[in-house]
Amino acid sequence: MEKELLHGTLEVLILKTLSWGPMHGFGIGRWIEQLSGNELRIEEGSLYPALYRVEKKGWVEASWGVSDNQRRAKFYKLTAEGRRQLHKNADTWSSFAHAVARVLSAKQQPVS
Amino acid sequence: MSATPLWRRYLRFWGSDPAADVDDEFAFHVETRIDELVAQGVEPKAARDEALRGFGNIQQVKAICRVLAEERERAMRRTQWWAGWRQDLRFAIRQLFVSRVLTVVLMVTIALGIGATVAIFSVLNVVLLRPLPFSDSDRVVFVYETWRQFRQGNASVGHFHDWTEQGEVFDATSAFTRATYNLSDGEPERVSGARVTPGYFQVIQIQPVLGRYFTQADVEHGRRLVVLGHGLWQRRFAADRSLVGRTIRLNGEAHTVVGVSPPESDLLRTAPQLLTPLVFSPQERANYGMHSFTVIGKLKAGITKEAAQADMERVTRGIAQREPRSMEGRSVNVQSYEDIMLGGHRAPGYVMLTSVVIVLLIGCANVTNLLLARATARRREIAIRAAVGGGRWRIVRQLLTESLVLSIVGGTAGVGLAYIGIPLLVRYGPRNVPRLDDAALHPEVLLFALGITLLTGIVVGLAPAIRAARENLVTTLRAGGRRSLAAVGRDRLRGGLVIGEIAIAVVLVVSAGLFIRSALLLQRVPLGFVVDGVLTARLALPPERYSSDESVSDAFRRVLEYTRGVPGVQRAGASTGIPLTPGGLDAGVQVEGKPFSPGTSPSPVIRLITEDYIESIGVTLVRGRTMRASDMADGAPSVVVINERLAALAWPGEDAIGKRLSTWTREVDIPEWREVVGVVGDVRSFGPDTPPVPELFLPYTQPPALAWRAFQGSMAFVVRTADDPGALASSLRSAVREVDASLPLYNVVTMEEALQADVAAARFSTWLLSLLAATGLMLAAVGIYGVIAYFVTQRTSEIGLRLALGATPRSVLMMVVRHGATLTVAGAGIGLIAAVLATRMLTTMLFEVSTTDPPAYAMGAAGIIAVALLACAAPALRAVRVNPMQSLAEP
Repeated sequence: MEKELLHGTLEVLILKTLSWGPMHGFGIGRWIEQLSGNELRIEEGSLYPALYRVEKKGWVEASWGVSDNQRRAKFYKLTAEGRRQLHKNADTWSSFAHAVARVLSAKQQPVS
Repeated sequence: MSATPLWRRYLRFWGSDPAADVDDEFAFHVETRIDELVAQGVEPKAARDEALRGFGNIQQVKAICRVLAEERERAMRRTQWWAGWRQDLRFAIRQLFVSRVLTVVLMVTIALGIGATVAIFSVLNVVLLRPLPFSDSDRVVFVYETWRQFRQGNASVGHFHDWTEQGEVFDATSAFTRATYNLSDGEPERVSGARVTPGYFQVIQIQPVLGRYFTQADVEHGRRLVVLGHGLWQRRFAADRSLVGRTIRLNGEAHTVVGVSPPESDLLRTAPQLLTPLVFSPQERANYGMHSFTVIGKLKAGITKEAAQADMERVTRGIAQREPRSMEGRSVNVQSYEDIMLGGHRAPGYVMLTSVVIVLLIGCANVTNLLLARATARRREIAIRAAVGGGRWRIVRQLLTESLVLSIVGGTAGVGLAYIGIPLLVRYGPRNVPRLDDAALHPEVLLFALGITLLTGIVVGLAPAIRAARENLVTTLRAGGRRSLAAVGRDRLRGGLVIGEIAIAVVLVVSAGLFIRSALLLQRVPLGFVVDGVLTARLALPPERYSSDESVSDAFRRVLEYTRGVPGVQRAGASTGIPLTPGGLDAGVQVEGKPFSPGTSPSPVIRLITEDYIESIGVTLVRGRTMRASDMADGAPSVVVINERLAALAWPGEDAIGKRLSTWTREVDIPEWREVVGVVGDVRSFGPDTPPVPELFLPYTQPPALAWRAFQGSMAFVVRTADDPGALASSLRSAVREVDASLPLYNVVTMEEALQADVAAARFSTWLLSLLAATGLMLAAVGIYGVIAYFVTQRTSEIGLRLALGATPRSVLMMVVRHGATLTVAGAGIGLIAAVLATRMLTTMLFEVSTTDPPAYAMGAAGIIAVALLACAAPALRAVRVNPMQSLAEP
């Protein structure tokens, strides 16, 4: 369950990142870290399987291109289906995250 | 339509490699990170370690990614594959709308071929392929007594008893005999039924729809019981479910209904509708001389027919030792129930299926030819497809999709045609075919239809598809889609197809010719009796009320007297057996002055007749005299009239008149002499296709002992008139009513109707085969026309040139006709030779016609030449009318 939750989170983050435009795996990881104010450290060991999963689901598609540093790199791009999934899941995730935050920051014991 | 963009299909021209992709991608990541760290001043070696750390176990991560990538790859290929078919299908349907006339011609051809094949198969399916409707039907056999060359004789009670008691191969056995009953309660009616021993229901195991069957215990109490057939129960008793336990009157006696048999047990339309118990007395069980029962048995599981035959031979040898006199020339024969019931229908059934498949094949040849012609017209399109990267298989698939679409639409229409055609086959089909009424579009028939539809699609599409795939791109495109050298080969293929279809059409026409010749010969066979102006009808006197011989003959005499008084009646007589009606009893004949031997002495059919019977039926008198009224008088001397065949057997080379013979005597070994007073002509009593048998006529007032019981108290009236014989039926009925109002007159048919019914099966086969042959011939003509017309079209400019250079129209005409004639002669030659081989399977279905009958072959050859000439005429005339200027000016 915990792993599923994590997978889901990472996938939504990938979709969100790609909503600005095509990017390769390295860049995606870097963007997520930067956007989280370097709070989140994305392990490559989790990032790539997540990328391949969303590609298999057809939410992103990949093609080979040339990166800024003039290397051959695999670029991921959001598909129409991926964009739909992003809208669908983003709300769910932020309300979930909000709820978790409220629980953790609670000052009082709930009345029983 | 497509969710898959076109470019993705060409994403990896040489196929994909997910493993390499994963490696490359990870390498890029690691190196980018190293560059970054090195730029920050980290040692390259430390930078690499740092870069790799985030991956954890990098091999494991790679493996996960590789698996995911491969799964995605597979899913994508599947989608593409289906998308490809969808595209082919769309294109195929578009193609069909491009040339609508052609499409309609192709579909009609396929629909007719498949429809006819499916209809015939539906009949074969119910008649021959479905198992018989009772359990373990493959274990049910008939056990016959054989006598001389007769392999399927009835058995005596003694035989039945010994076979049952001493045989070791049966679970159950039964003896039965056909019987008819006068059913009173309301309008009197004669119903055909059977008397069966209770074992019958253990041999023919099928659940009753109502009540139960009678058992050995029921029968031993001598109760009068009856099991009703489903048809009779529905028709006469309105499917009354409360009938069980109630009584109905049969032959004037009350019988209790114990059950109703299910509809499936009526294999034939003439299936027995009343089953009553048959019980044998101890005397009867000791009788080995009266052969009047049919014996069936159910083999124990695992016993073969051969083992049963051996066991029955063992028992029968025992009988022969005890009863040597009765057993002269006799033995035993075990035959499977299914072979007896269906065996005779197998050959005609498969001949029909083969013929209809031939028609379908001829149709397929035409469709292939038209598709080949169209493929030629589309060569440019196909070449372009190949040029832009459509592989050969892709082109084959495209064309096959087109032909499959054609065949599926045509096949669906064909199933519709079969739906209309099957009831017609059932209605006009011969009435003696078991289970014919059940023919319908059953699931297995639909499966068959699907199978031949797909097969048709592939067969007709394969040649054009392969040809298109082999096309040389460069030549085709350079020739601008016009005729190239390759087209010569194409013509050869199309020519070959036409030769093939002509050949099989000829086989079909020759077969039909043989049937027609056979039917004509049958019609011309001298029957030995008169058909026109004759009405026949049967009357049976129940033994309960007509117990003495005198009461029986008196009743028949009075009915005849009334009948002779009817205006329009020229002559009237009666006999216990008349031509074209099954049944009749035969008995051994002892000739005076010669020793009697059951194995070799003549055994004619015995008929009791009234005066004037021989004149009424129109049998010719050869020697002596026929029966007179004086022969019927009390105390008249014992006389007999015999037919020529019997005379030749009994007194070969001598005059039979005045000689004496004895038959069917009260006591074995005590002759009762009767004087031969007349010899009459032979009669084809069992139909035109069966040779005459010896016959013996006795005055009905001089019946042998127990003869009326053996004949079930029944005689057939024969009435001659100059007018319409059918119109006499009601007069005959009122004559019967004058004598006994409770008696039904039955089997009321004109001799013409009886003859038609007898030849119906043969006539139906002939008619159907002729229809198929005509269809095949017509389709072959279409095929010839197609090829010749194409030949002319392709050569329009050549013909124009020839005409311009001074060729006569006659020589152009001859060029076209010669082309048609070459194909036709080649096809006809092959067809005639093939027919010699193929028609051998028809031998058993033909009457006195050899399968190499010259007129039938002449008909095949003449038929194909006539239609070929007609088919060539239009294209040939078109060739003559070619305008040289125009044809040369056109590109």
